[in-house]
Order: sequence, then structure tokens, then C-alpha cells
Amino acid sequence: MSIIHVQDLSKVYRIVEKDPGLAGSFKALFRPRYKDILAVDRISFTIEPGELVGYIGVNGAGKSTTIKMLTGILLPSGGAVRVLERDPYQQRVPNARDIGVVFGQRSQLWWDLPLIESLNFIQRIYEIPPASFKRRLDEFAETLELKALFGTPIRNLSLGQKMRAELAATLIHDPQVVYLDEPTIGLDLLVKERIREFIKAQNRQRNVTVILTTHDLGDIEEICQRVIMIDAGRIIYDGPLSLIKARFGKFREITLETASPIGLFALPTGAEIVQQADQRLTLRFDRTVTTASQVAAAIMNQLEVADFSLAEPDLASIVKQIYSGALHA
Amino acid sequence: MLRRYTSLYWFFLIQRFKILMEYRLNFFIGLTSTIFLQAAGLLGIWVIVSQVPDLNGWTLDQVLLIYGLLTLAKSINHMFADNLWVIGWGYVRPGGFDRFLVRPINPLFHLLADRFCHDGLGNFLVGAALVIVSSINLHLVWTPLNLLYLIVVVISGGVIFIALNLITATSAFWIIESIPVTQIVFNTHEFARFPLTIYPKAIQLFLTILIPYGFASYYPATQILGRDPGLLAWLPPFVALVLAVFSYRVWLFGLKHYGGTGS
Repeated sequence: MSIIHVQDLSKVYRIVEKDPGLAGSFKALFRPRYKDILAVDRISFTIEPGELVGYIGVNGAGKSTTIKMLTGILLPSGGAVRVLERDPYQQRVPNARDIGVVFGQRSQLWWDLPLIESLNFIQRIYEIPPASFKRRLDEFAETLELKALFGTPIRNLSLGQKMRAELAATLIHDPQVVYLDEPTIGLDLLVKERIREFIKAQNRQRNVTVILTTHDLGDIEEICQRVIMIDAGRIIYDGPLSLIKARFGKFREITLETASPIGLFALPTGAEIVQQADQRLTLRFDRTVTTASQVAAAIMNQLEVADFSLAEPDLASIVKQIYSGALHA
Repeated sequence: MLRRYTSLYWFFLIQRFKILMEYRLNFFIGLTSTIFLQAAGLLGIWVIVSQVPDLNGWTLDQVLLIYGLLTLAKSINHMFADNLWVIGWGYVRPGGFDRFLVRPINPLFHLLADRFCHDGLGNFLVGAALVIVSSINLHLVWTPLNLLYLIVVVISGGVIFIALNLITATSAFWIIESIPVTQIVFNTHEFARFPLTIYPKAIQLFLTILIPYGFASYYPATQILGRDPGLLAWLPPFVALVLAVFSYRVWLFGLKHYGGTGS
């Protein structure tokens, strides 16, 4: 029995088109020209209980609009959504009891109140029985390391602490489905790692279904087994992460900074030059042939390297490759 | 259901005061500023009525009673529904309204309960003082029945204020910046500070039928003063009820058009 069922779901936004400048704004005020924007275009998918799904796409692809329809915030223009056998818009309140939502850039916590007050507030709103509230609180004090933070007003928390608090607030009522919109945005690597571990553990222990939207392919790689990719309102890929990884993870780029101007050197096996400047060298290598450390070591043997960095394949380039038919090849 | 929301409101209120106590100075400034504002408004009325000792058959104290009733009704709106003013830039634009829609409580309740506006307490005190002072000067006798009538009409008046603001606030779902729209309708309540008979027929009808602030001040005042406005004296709770139901429908309609902030 699938937990989320999406069938031919669409959303049209009607916007007023304006000519540039003040005159254009005036014209739009008195004689508006409407334009329909198809933000989500007849998408369909189903999600099973306990799945960890990465919902990805570039900015404006229709990610947030989809999530807003799944959570009951937006009324769909067409098609159907069922979450836990309910229509999330029509049955907003019962639906809200069973879901949790993190909007990565907008906190649900009361800025001026200590964390524990916010959590008490949420207990009241969700009518969480005191015993299970206490149990969850103790658990999060441990797993999210919140014990020392309960008495601190939200405004005094660091970004990473705030996200940990946010996750506690989102999961304290034991939701069956959790939507995480950019949960690691702006966080440093260590905190990211901690949050990914926590999400995975929640999924393992409680079979929570997780729908994750992110720009960070690291999040997807660490957490998700399945990826749904959306572009211009349509689903362009729905399948296992491993397939994408095999296709697009094949090439990676390494950039090296040298201490002195780059002289002659032999190219390591499986690598090619993308860009070469005076003291800066970017190489692309085939991961099936060689590794980052082999490439770096080969160069370091020949040149005096001051620093180097490894680039993750970025979403935009993957989308481009999908369009060029790479997945079907 | 009612019990749940009452206890929730109480909880919201306690949280709100905890936050206010974090900013004690603001608390007192807000409270006193409304009292000063009211004093300025009163001065205006006093100037007008003292220049014209007999305002179309109404004395200063009688006008003050009308004004007192209006102020009490307005204070209810001010205390409990001030967030309707700021829904656009405070909640819709920054996206905070999304959060209300994923919580298991009524989003309108959430919006209103989110900020009890203590500034309205100043309005309430001024309104109560006006009613008390004018009724002493007018030698009004407060029987339990009269008192009950007063309470009912003040609450009805408050609901009329809130319902009208709810209708105009709903425009935020289309245009986001709803304050000017709310302002246009809300400001017409200033007319209802005076006996409606001083106005041309069109304005009287306007404040009775279209934007019925008259039921928050003038009509109940005539009843309390024994001028017997007939059926109109008993209409306030019904007008309030009809307007409340209608405005909630408008709100629900607006919610369907809510688009949230981009993608």
C-alpha cells in the first residue's frame, strides 16, 4: 500500500506580465495582461512507506510547488494527490497531524522563546500525550544533542543548532511522512553529516517516509535510495540513485593550486585537462579508471601543489546530460 | 472543539506575554500610545460638539456614549485580530503563512492567536471610561438587562470590525500588500463616531447596510438612551453573525488562491 499517491498533478500560476520600467508597471495596473505559468505539469509517482526519496531539480523546476501540494498548502489545478489515503488540501488538519515539514530557510520556532517553550507549544498544538512527548524529548536530547540548548532562546542559537532544534520540532509528534526542504542549507560539513545520520536513523527506527528536496547532491548520496528529478514542471527521471551515480558520477573534476608556475608535467592515466592557468590546473578524470588520490599523487610527484579541491558533479550539469539522452544511452 | 481552541488560545496568550516581557519597554509604550491617540480623538469630538452645543439634537455626553461604544468594539478588534492588518507583509510575503497551513489547527485561528495585541487594552480602557463617564452624566440606570444588552452589542460590534477586516485582509492572497485595502474600509468607522442623523441619507444607508459600523455605535446607543430605534436596536448580533459567516467564506475562497512565495 503506497503512502503517497500522485496522479497527473498540475499547478498553474496566473501572473501579471509587466513591461519594464515605471510606465510598464502603470500599464499593468490598469490593463493587466495575464500569463499562465505551468509550474507543475501532470506529474505522477507513488511512494511506499519507509522510502527515502530525493526530489531534486534546479531553481524554479517545480520542486517547492509539488511539496506545497503534497503538504496541503496549495490547491492543485489538476490531477490528484493522496497522502495516507487523504486529500491533503481538503483534509488539511488530519493530514497535518501525520506529517512533519522542515522549510530549511524558515524556522517554525518562536524566535524570542527558549527552545523548550517552543517544543511545549508544539506539544499543545499537536496534542501530543505527555508520556510520549517526554520520551521523544529525552531521545532528542541525546541524538540531536539538545540537552544544553533547551533553555536558550532561538535567536541565540547558531545555524547548526537551529536546524537540530528544527528537526526535533518537526519529528516530536511522530509523523509518518516528513518533508525536508533544504535541511542542510548553509551548514558546515560536520553538522551536515550529523543531520544526515539523524534522518537515516529516524527512518530506520520508525520507518518514517522521507521526501527530501535539496541542491546538495551530498545529501542525496548519503540519504536517498531513490531520486525523482523534475525540470520545467515535468519528471525527467524517477529511479534508483545508483543509476544516476553510475552515469554521472563517472567523471569528476579536481582543481590543483601550485606554489610556483606550472611547468611541464605528464598527465596521469585516465585524466584530461579542463583548464590550465599560471598556477592553477583543473583536471577531469574517469572514476572507473582512476581515483582522486591517484590523480593528486601523480601530480604532486611532479609539481609543488599548495592546495587542491574536488568538485561534486552539480545538478545543472546532470540535468543537461539527461536531456542529451545520457540516461537512455 | 470549542474547549480545545479556548485552552489553546489561553496558551498562545501566555506565550505572547512571555515574549512581551522580553521587551518590557515596548509593552508600556504600546499601551500608553493608544491612550494618547484616543485622547487626541476625544479632543476632536469635544471641539466639534462644544462649538455646536446641540448636534442635531444630541448633547456632548450622548455623542460620547456613541464614541465609547465604538471604541469598545474597535478595541476587541485591536486586541484579538490585529494580525489581519499585517497578514500580507508579516506572513504571506515572508512565507510564514505556509507554516499555519501545515499545523493541525484552523489557520485563521492560528493567525489571530499568534499575536494578541496588548495595545488594544488602552483602547478598551478608554472606551470603558467613556461609557461610564457619559452614563453618569446622563443619569443612565444600568439594570442587569441593560448591562447584558451592552455586553452583547459591544461583542457584536467587535465581530463586525473583525469580519470587515477579514474580508479586506483576504485580498493579501492576491495582492500581498493588503493594508491599503483594509485601511479604506476600516477608516469609514470614523463616520460612526457621530449620530448618523447628521449625515445625508446615502451615508446613513452606507453605514447601515454596506459597511455596517452603525450597528457598533449609533443604533445601540440610541437604544441605551431610550430613543427607541425600533427593530434596528436588536439587529447588531444578527448583522455580526451574517457578516462573520460571509467573511469566513470570503477567507476560504481566498485560501484557494493562496500561492505561497514562489518555488
